[in-house]
Amino acid sequence: MADILQILILGLALGGVIALMGSGLSLVFGVMRIVNLAHPSLIIGGAYVTYWAFKMTGVDPIVMLPVASLIMAAIGVLLYRLMFERETKSAKYSEMTVLLTFALAMMVEGLLGGLFTNTQRVVSPDYATDAFFVGDIFIPKGQLYAGIVSLTIITALSLFLKYSRLGYAIRATTQNREAAELLGVNVNFICILAFAIGIGLAGAAGSLVSFVFSFFPAKHWEWVAMLMSVVVLGGMGSILGTVVAALMLSVIAAFVGTWIGATWSTLTFFLALFLILLVRPQGLFGEKPEMA
Amino acid sequence: MSELLQVTNITAGYGDGPAILDGAHLTVEPGKVHCIIGPNGAGKSTLMKAICGMLTIRKGDVIFKGKRLNGMRPDQILREGICFVPQERALFPKMTVRENLRMGGFILDDKKELERRIEGILERFPILRERADQHAGTMSGGQQQTLAMARTLIIKPTIVMLDEPSLGLAPKIVQEMFDIMKMMSAEGVTVLLVEQNALMGLKNSDWGVVLDLGRTLFEGPAADVLADPRIQELYLGGKKAA
Ligand SMILES: Nc1ncnc2c1ncn2[C@@H]1O[C@H](COP(=O)(O)OP(=O)(O)OP(=O)(O)O)[C@@H](O)[C@H]1O
Ligand SMILES: [Mg+2]
Repeated sequence: MADILQILILGLALGGVIALMGSGLSLVFGVMRIVNLAHPSLIIGGAYVTYWAFKMTGVDPIVMLPVASLIMAAIGVLLYRLMFERETKSAKYSEMTVLLTFALAMMVEGLLGGLFTNTQRVVSPDYATDAFFVGDIFIPKGQLYAGIVSLTIITALSLFLKYSRLGYAIRATTQNREAAELLGVNVNFICILAFAIGIGLAGAAGSLVSFVFSFFPAKHWEWVAMLMSVVVLGGMGSILGTVVAALMLSVIAAFVGTWIGATWSTLTFFLALFLILLVRPQGLFGEKPEMA
Repeated sequence: MSELLQVTNITAGYGDGPAILDGAHLTVEPGKVHCIIGPNGAGKSTLMKAICGMLTIRKGDVIFKGKRLNGMRPDQILREGICFVPQERALFPKMTVRENLRMGGFILDDKKELERRIEGILERFPILRERADQHAGTMSGGQQQTLAMARTLIIKPTIVMLDEPSLGLAPKIVQEMFDIMKMMSAEGVTVLLVEQNALMGLKNSDWGVVLDLGRTLFEGPAADVLADPRIQELYLGGKKAA
């Protein structure tokens, strides 16, 4: 029983971080229909920002999180204006963004590799190697903090989307771009904003990832499949779906990892992706794909 | 002439594509109901999109209260008081009825006033109050169209453009939509309507506009359009106007 609780807690904490990693991807797809394959590479960008800040000044990764997030958000604005803004009217927009972001992912990887080498890095604040003990159960502080911070950020994001004026505009643009424009929403501004928030979330996730996982520039290939399965299971564009899917898959992966073997644990995500696409392509909370 | 909106021989199209409208004109008088008729693909929807700023006007003018609207963005034209309800898909399906109404007042800065106006709308349309917290996408076609039309009233518009509000609705519900339209008109809102059923549209209107191949063929009092033998032949199925 304690075993099960232990695995469950570890799965949930990690699931929280994965949810944050996926939420920016989901938001950007929802609002702009951009399948951002470069999202995980930008998370690694955020992790490097956090790593170097820690190495040079000793600043705590969680304290660094808002800064990394803002830096990545600013990069997001530049990327959007450079790569996507002109293309929005193109009929092949969605297909094109897949190729564009694939190229971007490789460029980011190459750039990070050139700057920081391909050595594995990890940020090690004191709590990263410490744990709480509750009876027989041990909870690594690093994962617990990262999970809590992630879920707090996602809650804040959800409240922003649900209640603020800009949140209304973002949701409206997601659901019906033309109608939003007709009601006075400046959809181009909303796209820039949503993209900045999405990449800002990648930066925030990067700060947390920096002490939860070890990372190197090419690590994003592992994550892209994992995040895709989370976002597809949740229903492309649904933040709530992303969170539920991340927690679910992460817990399943934790059980698979313990009971069957660690190598099978990552396979959980890929198998899930495959099965969802076969059985329910719109995911848990997504809409049926339009048959246009 | 005391026209409110004057569209003179405009040319417009989508992106860099061919001109869809070429020689479309239109006169809108305050407080009246105007009906645009014409076959599928004539450019009726395109004309409305051009007026509300969603398409670039390449030639010609759109003058509203003496002011040129060409080149203005949709949000600017909305602020001038022209509201457009597109053919189908006017709503946010995963927002509640109340949230949809809030979006209707997106350009209003005074939040209290917005909530007051939403209350007013819910007062007048009991079906919307009943469904206030339901997702718009889960309502019936008629209820959705009611919401789309009611939503325009939030900003107290001068002109409301309705693109085929009767599309896909049962005849009884269609009558309800026309009743709402008449109520809007009675309150002083100027209505510009596109209607597939030319007879029904013209009978409920003061002014008729016949559009074909992107050009205005004829415009005049709705009764004249109904009586015109050529138009009866082409668009009214040869039926005698009652
Ligand atoms: N988004 C678009 N991009 C390119 N061409 C378009 C677009 N929308 C419409 N068209 C073209 O413009 C022409 C006029 O279309 P429009 O929708 O204005 O006609 P309509 O009179 O409203 O017809 P309907 O009665 O079927 O609604 C058509 O040839 C159509 O193919
Ligand atoms: Mg049309």
